[in-house]
Amino acid sequence: MNRLLNIAVFWRLSLLAVLAILIINCTSEKYKESTDETVNITGYLESNQEQYSMFLEILETTNYSTFMNTYGTYTLFLPTNEAVQNYLDAEGFSSINDIPMEDLEDLAKLHILEERIETVSFNDGKISTPSMQGQYLITGAANIGGSSNITVNKDARITSSNIEVGNGLIHVIDKMLKVANRTLAEMIEDDESLSIFSTALKETGWYEVLDEPLTYNNDSVPSYLTVIAQSNEVFSENGINSYTDLEEKYSHLNDPMNPADSLNLFMAYRIVPGLNYLADLVGTSTVLTKAPLEVIGIKLKRDSIVLNEETFNGVFEEGVAINRNVSDVTASNGAIHFVGDNFFIKKRFPAPVYFDPADQPEFRQLSSVFRKPGNYASLNSDELSEINYEGSYDITYAMPPIGDRTGRGWHGDVLELVRFRTGVTNNLEFTTPVIIKGQYKVWVSYRASSRQPRVKAFFNGQELPRLANFSEYGNTELPERVLESQGYKRHIYPYDNAFYSRLMGIVNVETTGRHTFMLQSTEYAGYNTWLDVIEFRPVDMDQLYPKFESGGDGLIYESDIN
Amino acid sequence: MRIKITYTLLILLSLASFSCDDYLDLRPQDGTVRQDFWQTKEDIQAAVIGIYSSMLNNPPSVSDRALPEYLFMYGELRGDMVAPGPNVIDEQTDFITSNILPSNSITSWSSFYRIINYCNTVIDLAPAVIDEDPTLTQEQLDNYIAEALTIRAYMYFTLARSFKDVPLKLEATLSDQDNFQLPVTPQEQILEQVKLDLEEAESLATEDYGNIPENKGRITKHAINAIQTDVYLWTNEYQSALDAANKVINSGEYSLVPATNNWFNTVYAQGNSSESIFEFQYTSQNLNPFYSIFLQRPQFLAAPSVLEDVFGVDYDDPENKDIRGERASMVPGTNEIYKYTGLNENERKALQNSDTHWFVYRYAGILLLKAEALNELGRGSEALEIIEEIREAREAIQSTSENVNPDNTNAVTDYILAERSRELAFEGKRWFDILRNARRNNYERLDILIAVAINSAPPSQQQSIVNKLQDPNSHYLPINEYELYTNKELTQNPFYN
Repeated sequence: MNRLLNIAVFWRLSLLAVLAILIINCTSEKYKESTDETVNITGYLESNQEQYSMFLEILETTNYSTFMNTYGTYTLFLPTNEAVQNYLDAEGFSSINDIPMEDLEDLAKLHILEERIETVSFNDGKISTPSMQGQYLITGAANIGGSSNITVNKDARITSSNIEVGNGLIHVIDKMLKVANRTLAEMIEDDESLSIFSTALKETGWYEVLDEPLTYNNDSVPSYLTVIAQSNEVFSENGINSYTDLEEKYSHLNDPMNPADSLNLFMAYRIVPGLNYLADLVGTSTVLTKAPLEVIGIKLKRDSIVLNEETFNGVFEEGVAINRNVSDVTASNGAIHFVGDNFFIKKRFPAPVYFDPADQPEFRQLSSVFRKPGNYASLNSDELSEINYEGSYDITYAMPPIGDRTGRGWHGDVLELVRFRTGVTNNLEFTTPVIIKGQYKVWVSYRASSRQPRVKAFFNGQELPRLANFSEYGNTELPERVLESQGYKRHIYPYDNAFYSRLMGIVNVETTGRHTFMLQSTEYAGYNTWLDVIEFRPVDMDQLYPKFESGGDGLIYESDIN
Repeated sequence: MRIKITYTLLILLSLASFSCDDYLDLRPQDGTVRQDFWQTKEDIQAAVIGIYSSMLNNPPSVSDRALPEYLFMYGELRGDMVAPGPNVIDEQTDFITSNILPSNSITSWSSFYRIINYCNTVIDLAPAVIDEDPTLTQEQLDNYIAEALTIRAYMYFTLARSFKDVPLKLEATLSDQDNFQLPVTPQEQILEQVKLDLEEAESLATEDYGNIPENKGRITKHAINAIQTDVYLWTNEYQSALDAANKVINSGEYSLVPATNNWFNTVYAQGNSSESIFEFQYTSQNLNPFYSIFLQRPQFLAAPSVLEDVFGVDYDDPENKDIRGERASMVPGTNEIYKYTGLNENERKALQNSDTHWFVYRYAGILLLKAEALNELGRGSEALEIIEEIREAREAIQSTSENVNPDNTNAVTDYILAERSRELAFEGKRWFDILRNARRNNYERLDILIAVAINSAPPSQQQSIVNKLQDPNSHYLPINEYELYTNKELTQNPFYN
């Protein structure tokens, strides 16, 4: 009985076991294996085939669909099926397979950036990262039929932006982007309205330069160029109706191929190194050109960009405007802009610049302080747009009360530093007023006192040979011309020996424009430092006269005294 | 028998002990439930005061910016008078450069709808109290309802000006069964509702609470008229705007504070002056959020051009200055926004005294709104008289005065706008002033808005910004993506798709 029972129990148990195993076997337990359901770029295209199947096909044909499905940070400009179809129709292909493989790869890569770029970081010019193809994409915004969209390469509109996917971002565009495959020279040549300009390019030899494909130098800096082109219409408004007129007017050596010929310079002055879209140009005040050491001044006046508009010695010179609507044309090796009027290198002769470091736009705004005796105002480096320095202390505009010895400099004001030394204020860098190119002697004048540092000067980062010792008081005995030969001068009149001026050296100002001038303290300072004037006098000019009126605004000429 | 007694006792005992016990009661221990609230007039008062205090600062359970910060950002950032400060965050910079994405947290409207719900609750539940509390008079009840209606109207007015089409909810959200899935209502309808609410409130509101802080810090009939002036100018009903403005002006309650050394202290640092119509009443017990955002960790500065272009500088005579500019609105040189942190011309308030109010409506602002209505009604010379009156009272300097032909409506509009930018600098009005005037007559004056953008846009983005602003939808904010996610009925502003 016992045995029988045992057998029965045994069978029942084994049946149960088998059943249990069977049941467990049949229902494979479902649990989530992934932590994230977000699809990657390829996944997004696959799940939205009705809209994007053609671009997906491009990616698959070029074998890029695999890497677009891997981990990474990409930005994809995704053309809709309609956009791809329009592109095929316009280019005369019947299907994607008709496009040569190499072109198709370039085309696909043009739509992909290897970084996540949200639309908020777009500006009027190029996106900071190039596409995988190598060309930069330019962004902007356009209003068509009352509604505005962000645009890419001028005419592709973003219809849906910042779609977040696992490995980056997608912006949907309504037009396929095109690879720019013509050089600057070819594009200019093909443009009917630029025939005079293009002939001039050929006659001066610049055509070949603009026709060179993009290369990279040892530092992998690309050889992009930017051309400011001038249409026939603009030429004819200035009385130039053909290339012969142009050559007659400008070529003074009758040899346009010679780099010294002014027609050659005329053309070279319109070629700017680097890829500069208008948004890049407005960010700088001057750009160098291919004409040796000649710069173009750039100014944003309301919404127009004007070239070479400047006020020199109180004379306002009107600039020429860039034709914004048609500019920002992309070529394979650069960009083309159009100018609205004729312009040329301005011939200027070096002129003295008497730079009062206390005369800063921010101090000028303080009308109750600026050049009002007995007033002071302090601002820090961030608040002063044209002064930079190391150290967290404010620097002070000081206009001491009448009678105070510190108020005997030019205009009666000085720029005051609490302590001119590392840790308080050092490496004091000024943006100078416009200095015309040429050679200048640089004089720095200060209010002397004890416990002052010796100071070095740097012009555009280049150290000047001499030191100025700010604790050195003025010599009142030696004749002026003797002092001058030693590199000192009594720069104010009537003279007070608390003020003194020191020759720091000679600088070669290579380009006309604003430059940086830096003063660096080389040692400990135990007292306030005051700066009066920084002079840039052309080397062939009298270095002593005119002097500066002590406590006043005037210039004192030698004839005024004698 | 003994057993019977024992059982009976036992049953009685158990009944007694159970009935004493209240552990089955599900009332919260740290709050009041609705059945216990809304019993007396004090309850209504508490609820109404709660609405005001939620406008000043958020309830402790909510971590969000205070309402005036939103009002400042919506009203100023897209104008041309505010620049990013050293502590600005990216989202704010994006706002300034018109690069607003639906993910930008500044587009969150939850502060507004929270206050709207508080108002709705009062409007729905307060009327029943009159049956419970015999000491509550109908007049008192009406006053409370008027306050809730007005604040709700002002919230919707601000939302409609900022977002264009927004969901309109006029009943309180009291339980989870309420429908939270609401579609947007078009801007015109929102403004219609605002007008209706204000009209009703006007008939219910009081003129005088008996003391100055309440007259300036709570909704009075005059405050309602002030909002009406503004609303009617948005809906282009100029005669109604003029009538509403005249009600405020003819009440005789308000006057411009004369320009003395105390002017700034009286009008701003202390507040509740004779110029004030409605202000958020911060106190030293309930500090404003401005100390941090304008002074300690400045998120915003005055734009560099403000001193010269808005207030003007007399380089020859520093004593000759507009009292509203230097050391009233801003500090020259550092461009610090001074209006909310200054004590007087020389000193700032200390952190623990940072109680400068937020100025919703001031008398001078209403005068200028009246000028705008007059100008639109073809009475330009009367509008110019108002501008002159204010300029004289504020010692405005010659360089900002304009010689305008009173028949040239556009020129008078520009002059009024310029004067408003001086008078109401940094008070959350600038962008709305620009937009209100630009959109009139089917965007006839879009040029105002574009000019502002050209002046203030970063050079490298200027063209994009100008082109974006050609699209009227871009003048309004996107609905925040969180709202779109939780409320499937909402439709995004098409510009932001």
